[in-house]
Amino acid sequence: MPPRSKENHIVFLLTVGLAGWLIPGGGHFILKERARAIIIFAAIVLTFAMGLYIGSIGVVNPVTGKLAYAAQIMNSPAVAAIGRFTKGGDYAVFGKPNEIGQIYTSIAGLLNLLCIVNAVYLAHLKETERARA
Amino acid sequence: MSLITTLILADFTTPERVGVTALSMLWLLPLALSVAVVYKATKVSEVRAVSFIRESVVLFASIIVFMLVTAVALLGIAWLVT
Repeated sequence: MPPRSKENHIVFLLTVGLAGWLIPGGGHFILKERARAIIIFAAIVLTFAMGLYIGSIGVVNPVTGKLAYAAQIMNSPAVAAIGRFTKGGDYAVFGKPNEIGQIYTSIAGLLNLLCIVNAVYLAHLKETERARA
Repeated sequence: MSLITTLILADFTTPERVGVTALSMLWLLPLALSVAVVYKATKVSEVRAVSFIRESVVLFASIIVFMLVTAVALLGIAWLVT
């Protein structure tokens, strides 16, 4: 397969990054790293779901928990949909469950950010190697 | 909506009871496991079941041991200060 043009290369990297954000592991799936993609998807979704289970969906709050929300939104745009439900304060949660739930969901988001960066880097490496060959 | 769906959704709209006890520290374990697995998934050159599990377990154990050492050190400092 011939190497992509510079513009196409940037579009490809953006697509990989966006896929990784839309669905955890999606970026690696596009790169045909299926095993990696499944592991990432399972680990991140389980961690995020566990955070919601411990603290309820109230741990995602774009109004009172802005800093945690910035990390949580890295999981997927679906987090914004949860944020729309909870920003009114109908699912308020306090104390340890809130603390642990926010830690779990935020760490899941930051881990997904790590995976997005890794997928984009892998995509760039593969493209560079293909151009050299 | 079926009863099962309602019960599952209810689980995610009501917080769990988590006491302020030493046992609540055990919530660290699943999180450390997740961090170890995801980190190793991005680091290993090839994902093979046995080596991947072994490397993830080693990293998981390292995280736990380091946190225990940190906890003991902090406890020692607190004991000396108070």
